[in-house]
Amino acid sequence: MMGMSRAGLAERWPLFAGAFLSVALGVALVQSSLLLLISAATYDPPAGWSEAARMAASDNAVAAVSMLGVILGIATFLAGFIISSTFAFTVDQRRRDLALLRLVGGSRGQLRRLLLGEALLLGFLGAAAGIPAGVAVMNLQGWLLRRMEFMPADFEGQWRLWILGVSFGTGLALAVAGVLVAARRGSRVRPLEALRETGAAARVMTVSRWIFGLIFLGGALALIIVAPHGGVSGGVAMAMNVAMPAAAAVAAFSPLLVPLLGRLIPAGGVTGSLARANLADARRRSASVAAPLIVLAGLVIGNAAAGASFTTAGADQMRAQTRADLVVEAPGPVGDRIRSVPGVAAVSTETAIPATVTTGSGEDQESESAMAMVIDPAAYAAAHSAGDALTALRGRAVAAGPGGDVPSRGTIRLRLPGLDLGEIPVVAGVPATMSGGPNVLLAPGVVPAAMLASAPTQSFVSLAGDADPPAVRAALARVGEVSTADAWLRADAKDRNSTSDKILLVIMGLGGLYALIGVINSVVIGAAARRREFAEARVTGLTRGQVVRSALRESFAVTVAGLVLGGVAAGATMATVLTTTTAVVGKGTLDIPWTLVAAVIAVALLVTSVTSLLTSLSATRRRPVLLLGATE
Amino acid sequence: MPTTDTVTRVNAAVTLRGVSRVYGRGAAAVRAVDNVSLEFPRGGWTAVMGPSGSGKSTLLHCAAGLEKVDSGQVIVGDNDITSASDAELTALRRTRIGFVFQSFNLIGSLSAERNVALPLRLAGQRPKPAEVRATLARVGLADRARHRPRELSGGQQQRVAIARAMVTRPEVLFADEPTGALDSTAARTVLDLMREMADAGQSIVMVTHDPGAAARADAVVFLRDGRVVDHVTGAGPREVADRLAAWER
Ligand SMILES: Nc1ncnc2c1ncn2[C@@H]1O[C@H](COP(=O)(O)OP(=O)(O)O)[C@@H](O)[C@H]1O
Ligand SMILES: [Mg+2]
Repeated sequence: MMGMSRAGLAERWPLFAGAFLSVALGVALVQSSLLLLISAATYDPPAGWSEAARMAASDNAVAAVSMLGVILGIATFLAGFIISSTFAFTVDQRRRDLALLRLVGGSRGQLRRLLLGEALLLGFLGAAAGIPAGVAVMNLQGWLLRRMEFMPADFEGQWRLWILGVSFGTGLALAVAGVLVAARRGSRVRPLEALRETGAAARVMTVSRWIFGLIFLGGALALIIVAPHGGVSGGVAMAMNVAMPAAAAVAAFSPLLVPLLGRLIPAGGVTGSLARANLADARRRSASVAAPLIVLAGLVIGNAAAGASFTTAGADQMRAQTRADLVVEAPGPVGDRIRSVPGVAAVSTETAIPATVTTGSGEDQESESAMAMVIDPAAYAAAHSAGDALTALRGRAVAAGPGGDVPSRGTIRLRLPGLDLGEIPVVAGVPATMSGGPNVLLAPGVVPAAMLASAPTQSFVSLAGDADPPAVRAALARVGEVSTADAWLRADAKDRNSTSDKILLVIMGLGGLYALIGVINSVVIGAAARRREFAEARVTGLTRGQVVRSALRESFAVTVAGLVLGGVAAGATMATVLTTTTAVVGKGTLDIPWTLVAAVIAVALLVTSVTSLLTSLSATRRRPVLLLGATE
Repeated sequence: MPTTDTVTRVNAAVTLRGVSRVYGRGAAAVRAVDNVSLEFPRGGWTAVMGPSGSGKSTLLHCAAGLEKVDSGQVIVGDNDITSASDAELTALRRTRIGFVFQSFNLIGSLSAERNVALPLRLAGQRPKPAEVRATLARVGLADRARHRPRELSGGQQQRVAIARAMVTRPEVLFADEPTGALDSTAARTVLDLMREMADAGQSIVMVTHDPGAAARADAVVFLRDGRVVDHVTGAGPREVADRLAAWER
């Protein structure tokens, strides 16, 4: 028997390549997100633009900054997760090599230093490759941000010299942190394990796995419980963050859960029963392939469902609150012209103006881009079911709008394009809504007419009981573009949906790709160590086809198990979405993006199947006797 | 004048006193080694024989400190290693004992000479190339120093493994079925090599089920169901085979 010699470099390179790749891509993703976040946060619109355009661009940038914050969080989480699971897997796959070193005199400390040294080297090399790759990723993400109009056309991610330190630090820290627990475990391998033919797997549900799993489970539960009480923005943010700890918790427990789900594979024929036995036996390998799948499915499906549900809930809420028959879109103060049309009973004319709101004073002073809206308080309250919330709004005062972010009492400083309104009291406010909207509501007299003249305005029109709708529409068409309130709300909802889809693509796209690469990594690493196992199966009488088929069935089962468990993690998000929407808009809303679910399932199955097919074909290429060393 | 006790200690490379090792619990418990007391003499080559599953490997592992014993005492040279710490056992493996196994257990990515140098490097020494080459030359592989294990035959790989075990000049060499995976020619080369080493004063404990191999040793211990059942010195292959056959009956 060839014994240790099968541990040749040729067989070990996928381990190191996989670990290297996980660091390089993780560093690239984190670096790109960080640079874009900083570039967006310090973004200054070109001096040549009008102040209104500059303020609008800044307001967009604020939204982009919070989105990039989420991207950075997810990128860091994914990098930490994928890198540590890859490193732990590579260490585990080498238990026999490590035991052999122990046998010939290696101490625990030496093994630990060896593994840590390797991790440092891989972290360094990975970061060195990840930094230039991160620039490419940044250009891609920056292009996406411009393309989807989250940032203006002149926005570009900017390189900073100090990011070199941050990225090398990230690579080294994640690699070392990722290998720390595994190295400790690996160094405690018993020398006798070098003599076991199959490199007997260590206990997989270790104490640290239990601890990590329970911590993440606790985190997920805390978010699930608190989210419904977090108000609109808090609840939405918490619901969007459930998937990460939930997926990590499920992944931590996957060595227990995957074999359980594996029992569901039909044990038909020799390949089926072999696949089932392998799944139960190689818990470590199964869990390592399932982990990135769980995170991929949990994060992508969970957050897509959350985004879609909140958008739907927002649209539903808006529909429920809107009391109007027609909507007219025309710039400027068109209220009087609309009101003079026969058959019009009431009209709420709302003009949007970009603004800068400053709250607090002294140290706590904070300026933020915002959207101000000039309204007629009574008409607005009637058109949007605001009751008497706005009766106090008159003269030189403002009210907090449905977009939130402004306190409903107190004083703010308000700056409009070309006009500093100075300190201004907030005297009223409407509750924040799911779909957002203007942050500040202003009574008409505060803003000079010149500023309103060409500003985008929408007018919500209610018809009198005896009105002739077509005639009114025809008359209103001379003022601006007319649509029924229903059609307008539908178009608005569709618009918001496409925005939330775009956000999802920007946030999840590259992260999902990274998780998918993590899956491929695990399949390749797992197969690399299986040449001998395959060869043994073949000398036992299985054909190469049967061995490959059995590997495929096993990979299919692991993938399905990973997707189901990812579904569980996504389910945690969905439950939070239901309780949060119930608390915030009074009606539980859940919108599952089935197309995306189907796409994730199809892509995951395709990728794991193709990878398993290629790796098992390559691992069975040589005649089994050569591998088993029967040439002596 | 040394006391009897000291004489025993000085003359024995490894001493086992009432050693037992039990695997599993309750009804499934297997007494792999059952109250064995043995002395492996210094400068001698002892073969441990017995049917498959009789506890030979377990005995060897206990004697080498690779396996904890459930009761009894294990003494290597004059060191009681029965409850030695991991660090002490590591030091023992580094300097005082060497291993050879049926499955060679070389590191596939390292050349023969680097495999041989490995124990010295792990012990914190800077191995002199000449010293490593000399060790390889002693096993007849001076010209294969730069070959990887997979470029060597099984017999050559086993000789590299012996060179690796010998490079630290251990007090005792433990070998578990060292010829188990070799054809008869390669096996003879390896046994000749071990004979040569034993004649030069190397203490060797070897587990085997091959009477031909056992007959090359100075003494043969027979094991059955974890117990020592017989002990012969200077027996030829025919006698060893007859005794083994008698115990296997
Ligand atoms: N790690 C182990 N766990 C449980 N039982 C074991 C273990 N190692 C050996 N045994 C059992 O102990 C007995 C002796 O095994 P072993 O020492 O390997 O025998 P030999 O080397 O003589 O063939 C056998 O019954 C074997 O099944
Ligand atoms: Mg044995």
